[in-house]
Amino acid sequence: MKKYLMIYKESMRVSIASAATYRANFILHSIITLLGNIVFPLVTLLIYGSGASFEGWSMYEVLLIQSIFTMSTGLSNMFFGGMVWNTMEHVREGTFETVLIKPVDCMFYLLATNFGIHSFGVVAGGMVVFIISLVHVGNATIVMWLQFLLLFLMGLFVMLGMELLMAATSFKWVANSRIPEMYGSVRQFGNYPQTIFNKSIIYLTSFILPVGMIGFFPASALLGRLEWWMLVSIFPCILFLMLGIWVYRYMVRLYEGVGG
Amino acid sequence: MTNEFYKTNRKERAVENIISVEHLCKKYTTYKRESGFKASVKSFFHREKVYVDAVKDVTFQVKRGDIIGILGPNGAGKSTTIKMLTGTLYPTEGVINVMGFSPYKDRISYVRNMGAVFGQKSQLIFDIPPLDSFRMNKAIYGIPDKEYEETLHTLIEILELEDKVMRPTRVLSLGERMKCEFIMAMLHNPPIVYLDEPTIGLDVIAKQNIREFIKQMNERGTTFILTTHDLEDVQQLAKDVIIINKGEKVFDGSIADLRRNLGNKKVVELTVDSYSEKGIVYGNKNIEIRGTTVISELSHQKTTLEVDTDVISISEFMNELSSQYAFTDISIKELSMETIITKIYKETGNKE
Repeated sequence: MKKYLMIYKESMRVSIASAATYRANFILHSIITLLGNIVFPLVTLLIYGSGASFEGWSMYEVLLIQSIFTMSTGLSNMFFGGMVWNTMEHVREGTFETVLIKPVDCMFYLLATNFGIHSFGVVAGGMVVFIISLVHVGNATIVMWLQFLLLFLMGLFVMLGMELLMAATSFKWVANSRIPEMYGSVRQFGNYPQTIFNKSIIYLTSFILPVGMIGFFPASALLGRLEWWMLVSIFPCILFLMLGIWVYRYMVRLYEGVGG
Repeated sequence: MTNEFYKTNRKERAVENIISVEHLCKKYTTYKRESGFKASVKSFFHREKVYVDAVKDVTFQVKRGDIIGILGPNGAGKSTTIKMLTGTLYPTEGVINVMGFSPYKDRISYVRNMGAVFGQKSQLIFDIPPLDSFRMNKAIYGIPDKEYEETLHTLIEILELEDKVMRPTRVLSLGERMKCEFIMAMLHNPPIVYLDEPTIGLDVIAKQNIREFIKQMNERGTTFILTTHDLEDVQQLAKDVIIINKGEKVFDGSIADLRRNLGNKKVVELTVDSYSEKGIVYGNKNIEIRGTTVISELSHQKTTLEVDTDVISISEFMNELSSQYAFTDISIKELSMETIITKIYKETGNKE
């Protein structure tokens, strides 16, 4: 475990060093992703400014959901966002051997070396909106905070599981650039209060591909609007992560030619 | 080097086998596909499986402290063999034992004890100085600070890279980068290092530097397994050679054995005086000296002959040559490595 922490530390250093090497690129990238991600409060402000609303939700409640979604996806991009691309590159270029000759678990190694400082701006931006919204929606109790943290973590689990599953497909298909786009679209369901969708979408985004966990559920916890079935979603989240890890490991073994 | 391993003299550790490979086989499954639009459409729905024997029943041993050259034409199964030896590929059949490890079964504990340099696959992180990549390996292999500093210092000194390791990898020359790849592979003092075409694309001086380095490290006790297309690498470095063609081992022995394998032959290059009364060599394919064949004619005046010294001694050959022909220049050489290897590839490639 200590070894993996050391590797992570080095990876963070490398990522920061790389960012520092291409300063202009880093700054531009940060600004652009930040801009891309702060459009959401603008749209929400616009909707509520023109008198419309998401039924049953105040503007700051919606902003809270969306800021949590932004932080969560930002963290996901930072810690495991490069997994799909990196695995695909290694498989296509035939350089996966250089990973396999290292005395580490290759899934963890790739995760660690994928750490990208670029999404830091997004997380920070989300945090600002989060704090502003929180000030307006009132105080949350300690229990609510604990629930929030648990569900927030589950949201990260779903995203890690999904990243691993997508990355795993590259071992077999080599090129699969469209799947992450589809996933990105489906993920957007977590960005809105679920009550505005119809039953089947609620069902899908809670239990099948629990993207509700990425923004909406943890926000509900903080707003005191948590319902029991949201907690049930914890199971598919954990399942997703376990499935992701299992499939990824399985594909690595297949790549090594077990029984192939 | 602090590692005890390097302190012991090579002779004391004499003839212990570090690698033992028995009946190694690797079968691949691919899909048959013909060209053309119709075949493409068909293959979208149904693909016929084809089994390819990449490596067929290969057996060999490597002794500790050796440098072994693995040769073979493209697609012969060299890389597949190296992949199985480095634990990144499962064999279909057969047993590999490297220092008591089964590479594919105990991958993580095994790779800690080996290093690998792939001439065409960089392990350095492109955007940052090599020194940072080295630190990454320090974390991966869990090398203690003191040992890391000492090993790094020694390697940098031998490779003369003092001021280079601080510069971003992308601005380094190919030769400098390759030297850094060697540091990456050897920071953790592995007793065995695999080199897959380590001198590919390098200039003469850079190649020579790399070879010197390999020799030095070998004298300190590291065993090297080397695949290459550069026969100069093999001639200068390897003590023993294994030749693989079409997945099968076709030769295993010393370089001297390899030369003897094709009989004792000399190559004679002649420059003839075409105005001589004694006649001329060129155009005369059936040169009338025992054990002698014309192998090429570069121009009207230049001819290359191959002389089998088991049939005729060089002095006899010279006597007969000068009595029959006039020539202005002559050179007698050993059969080149290239000729030997080409012959072996051709002979073993046409067997089927």
